[in-house]
Amino acid sequence: MSLHHFLILGAILFTTGVFGIFLNRRNVIIILMSIELILLSVNINFVAFSHYNNDVTGQIFTFFVLAVAAAEAAIGLAILVAFFRNRATIDVERIDTLKG
Amino acid sequence: MAVQLPEMNLVLLSPEILLSLVAMGLLLMSAWSGKESRGLIGTMALSGIVLAAVVLAGLSSATPSATMGGHFIDDRLARAMKWLLLIATALPLLMSREYLNQHGLDSGEYYVLTITSLIGAMAMVSAGSFLLLYLGLELMSLSIYVLAAYQRDQLQSTEAGLKYFILGSLASGILLYGTSLVYGATGTTLFTAVANAIKTAEHVSPVLVLGAVLVIIGISFKVAAAPFHMWAPDVYEGAPTSVTAFIAVMPKVAAFTAFFRVLLEAFSALHVHWAPMLQLLAVLTLAVGSLGAIAQSNIKRLLAYSSIGHVGFLLIGLTTGSQLGHQSVVFYLANYIFMSVGAFCLVLVLNRQGIGDQISDYAGLAKKRPLLAFLMSMFMFSMAGIPPLAGFIAKLYVLMAAVKAGLLTLAVISVIFAAIGAFYYLRIVKIIYFDVAEQPFDMEVSLSHQIVLAISALIVLVVGIFPGKLLDWSLASVQSLL
Amino acid sequence: MSKYLLIVLAPLFGSMIAGFFGRLLGNRLASLVTIAGMSVSALLAIITFFEIAVGNGDPVRQEVWSWIVSGEFRVSFGLLIDRLTAVMLIVVSGISTLIHIYSMGYMAEDPDQPRFFSYLSLFTFAMLMLVTGDSFLQLFFGWEGVGLASYLLIGFWFKKESACNAAIKAFLVNRVGDFGFALGIFTIYQVFHTLDYATVFRMAGTGQYPQTVDFLFWGPVHTMTLICLLLFIGAMGKSAQFILHTWLPDAMEGPTPVSALIHAATMVTAGVFMVCRASPLFELSETALTVVTVIGAITAFFAATVGLVQNDIKRVIAYSTCSQLGYMFFAAGVSAYSAAIFHLMTHAFFKALLFLSAGAVIHSMHHEQDMRKMGGLRKKIPITYTVMMIGTLALTGFPFLAGFYSKDAILEAAYAAHSTAGTFAWTLGMIGAVLTTFYSFRLIFMTFHGRPADHHSYDHAHESPWVMLGPLMVLAVGALFAGMLGESMTHLGWFKSAIFLAPGHDAMEHAHHVSAWVKWSPFLMFLIGLGMAWLLYVRMPELPGIIAGHYRATHRFLLNAWYFDRLYDRLFVQPAKLIGEGLWLTGDAKIVDGCVNGVANLCQRWAEQLRSLQTGYVYHYAFAMLIGVLVLMSLYT
Repeated sequence: MSLHHFLILGAILFTTGVFGIFLNRRNVIIILMSIELILLSVNINFVAFSHYNNDVTGQIFTFFVLAVAAAEAAIGLAILVAFFRNRATIDVERIDTLKG
Repeated sequence: MAVQLPEMNLVLLSPEILLSLVAMGLLLMSAWSGKESRGLIGTMALSGIVLAAVVLAGLSSATPSATMGGHFIDDRLARAMKWLLLIATALPLLMSREYLNQHGLDSGEYYVLTITSLIGAMAMVSAGSFLLLYLGLELMSLSIYVLAAYQRDQLQSTEAGLKYFILGSLASGILLYGTSLVYGATGTTLFTAVANAIKTAEHVSPVLVLGAVLVIIGISFKVAAAPFHMWAPDVYEGAPTSVTAFIAVMPKVAAFTAFFRVLLEAFSALHVHWAPMLQLLAVLTLAVGSLGAIAQSNIKRLLAYSSIGHVGFLLIGLTTGSQLGHQSVVFYLANYIFMSVGAFCLVLVLNRQGIGDQISDYAGLAKKRPLLAFLMSMFMFSMAGIPPLAGFIAKLYVLMAAVKAGLLTLAVISVIFAAIGAFYYLRIVKIIYFDVAEQPFDMEVSLSHQIVLAISALIVLVVGIFPGKLLDWSLASVQSLL
Repeated sequence: MSKYLLIVLAPLFGSMIAGFFGRLLGNRLASLVTIAGMSVSALLAIITFFEIAVGNGDPVRQEVWSWIVSGEFRVSFGLLIDRLTAVMLIVVSGISTLIHIYSMGYMAEDPDQPRFFSYLSLFTFAMLMLVTGDSFLQLFFGWEGVGLASYLLIGFWFKKESACNAAIKAFLVNRVGDFGFALGIFTIYQVFHTLDYATVFRMAGTGQYPQTVDFLFWGPVHTMTLICLLLFIGAMGKSAQFILHTWLPDAMEGPTPVSALIHAATMVTAGVFMVCRASPLFELSETALTVVTVIGAITAFFAATVGLVQNDIKRVIAYSTCSQLGYMFFAAGVSAYSAAIFHLMTHAFFKALLFLSAGAVIHSMHHEQDMRKMGGLRKKIPITYTVMMIGTLALTGFPFLAGFYSKDAILEAAYAAHSTAGTFAWTLGMIGAVLTTFYSFRLIFMTFHGRPADHHSYDHAHESPWVMLGPLMVLAVGALFAGMLGESMTHLGWFKSAIFLAPGHDAMEHAHHVSAWVKWSPFLMFLIGLGMAWLLYVRMPELPGIIAGHYRATHRFLLNAWYFDRLYDRLFVQPAKLIGEGLWLTGDAKIVDGCVNGVANLCQRWAEQLRSLQTGYVYHYAFAMLIGVLVLMSLYT
């Protein structure tokens, strides 16, 4: 297993996450999951670089990213709940009152 | 593995520490006390900011230095930008209290979130590494997502929050991915170490450049540079007006400082790569900002496009890579705060008694309230860059920097878009002065609004006529760069 | 705030208070506020005059404030008070104060008094800025400021069509001059890289500048000649010199106090002041000096001939002003700057006096300006008659009155210059002196002597109120003694460093030693002129009509001011109108409007398209971001 394998895995996860955000037109929850996926891909990158560079900073960065990801998920869900109360749906296509 | 802690000079962090204590204290207060103490929390939040300003002023005698193993930088740029951040937080907070009261938003968490976002922004401007930059950015952004959705019984507000959250998370994901690539290419996250690694490397690795491009894109989202601007009009319109006033100014200051740090401290050797990229972004941003505003009928949406247009100018100042350009960016930011705060304060003043956010609601304001109309036109003229107001000098300096850096085409393009932009500013003035009044406009202007309006108007006017001091200050703050 | 700064700013404060709060204050208070501001200014100007000019004070230079100081980019405002400025200060502040007071009476029935006094004080502020400036930039600021105030005041009665037309004409003609003036200042900046007087003059004196510059399509031209000629074009516009003089007579449409202050005593002399201030530059170009002399001499003669036949009392004095300004210019042209400034000062007194007296006559005749309808007023308004006679005697050079000293100094200097241009100027100046005396006394005789032409007006004629007569008397005292007291000004070196003379330019020095016949010939001219006027307008009043009938063409030629207005009308106005109409019909309506509307429509369309891109769907926004990321990644990595 070389560094490249990890990087390619990271890139695939990142792309999946990004595509998940705009290809999915159904459910906002899937967008939240996609965001988690992006953050995970970054973590894989960091850990892989950290290991192969023999430098600990990347792993520390990963912990911070994990913590932020948790906060992000919590806030995202909270806003989504507030939105759901008003709109009674979490369809991505229905988040459309603000435009122009 | 023995871990050695780096030296920590907590004195340099004292404004941030103080604000954190204030935020936590206020959070506890709002949890434990009843409704009657809400006014008190607002006052305490404001006094906390003022106290932080006092501490920051006291800190200015300490020699600029880095601490926390280089992750935290306390230099003149950081201090100058923290002043701007404190102003850009305090003024919107001061003018929002009545609005919050009227709309039932006056709970303690609003102030707590404002202060936490301020702490995040202050961390960003002091960031010496991608780690602190990311943490500061996230702290700022997450707080603002919640603020945008703060009016939680309103569909528009929650929708604004949700959109901002989704797109913002995507942007920070891109930023983070770029950071990981930069880390992989250079083996460090400290800006200075990254710069060293780039200088000592034999050739610039494509991974590094890709990482840099992604990092710049991530920050571009925060300043709403086209094509990463699309969240801005929706969020500005949907968020409560007090929040809009806040996010129109504060994050811009933080993000442009982040640009300074990343571009000039970490990636200065990559100037050939990022300068043309930012120029392209600047042109797109100017185009979107000036053209997008023309078709708008909502004042908040229009001000969103207006701020996008200003970002275009700021990006031009940034791409010059010269000291004059950097000076012009700081100067422009300082003036932008007051112009924008002044305009939003008037929107808040007028946003009462059934007057909505439609521009047509302001028809004939001049006949009923000549002073308010005069102030509004003054801010609009300043934003359009008409002398002798501050906005003119700001644009003039950006153009001077661009011309001196040989970016003549860019300067000409920006002038053309500024002229197009002037059209919609003048349209507002025309509506205010020449259209027939339909609204009674009999609202009272409270003391806090008077204070904010007086400060903004005074600065816009005085800096327009005597820009010398502020220019010197801007120059001093960017001297440590490059 | 230093007292020098207060001299300049006090009128501005007065103007702002009267202008912004005029309705609140009412007519009385508004005028009093401006008069208070002017009095402060005048008092301080007198103190300054005694310090700098009478005492032996050193020139004062003060930097007042720096507007923009950032790197190499530096714009600052300052004050320069030397003897030249001190003389100008006392003229501007003093006469302006008197005219403010006079206006209280003259404008008493006007409903718009606050506006009037506000403009009047604004003008004074701009004029004081002009004379106290320490750089060409400030000079230009004042220059444009007085132009603006003049425009506003000529058109003060904007409901009168002729007043509006006159204002526009003054504005346009001055624009021509100002264009040259601005080009001159640009050239100075291009050559010296600064507009600061001290630096420019020092560098000019030591020759640290390129001797030739490229000017537009001419290729290399002599630097100093170019600069001075361009500056002089500005002076020609502002001081109504030959070719650019046509606006001044029309400017008499403004209220009479305005004519007295702006179009006689102060603003029109700005050109003379500027030439003297820039003497270190003008002295370096013989060509420019010759042009100044010739233009000045022609104006002195030309305006005097036209003044002979005018029937409007104010127009006579207006042409007289034009003519006297010509004297000042040719004095400057033969390097007799001190004589020019001396005459500027004395002229300010007696010409303001003449205008204000004419105003008093007009006032007492219920706004009648045609002299043919006056006559015999001597008995009805004796005080006005007396002061106007003093003014006339001072103008015509009656011994020991103001004009006797200053005009003689100019003529002697022109004679002593011993150059072709100088002799030319002296000859025309001599003829001009006869004509001056003739038209001045013609005015006196037609207005005050003889039999009343219009008995109705005559019976209702009344002496003006004391608020008007007071200033007249003060000015009369000035007209009597200004010459005697100020004569030392013409002595060599009185102006110290303010005026620079190149070696060999010693006309002023020789002027004191010319033979007696040169000294007394102006007086002879006075006698001839007086005799002719007496003969034609007192002894045989029917004679002028017969002469005019005989030489109809000449008379019409003079009456129409050498047909300059008609010439310009044919040459510029009509073609411009034709071109304008053509452009309007084809160019503007089709091309320009088409373009402007086209651009506007295009912007609108783009705006709509941009708006339709903003769909409101998050995935569209994210998609736009992705496109952006992909494009930037592929372009820049």
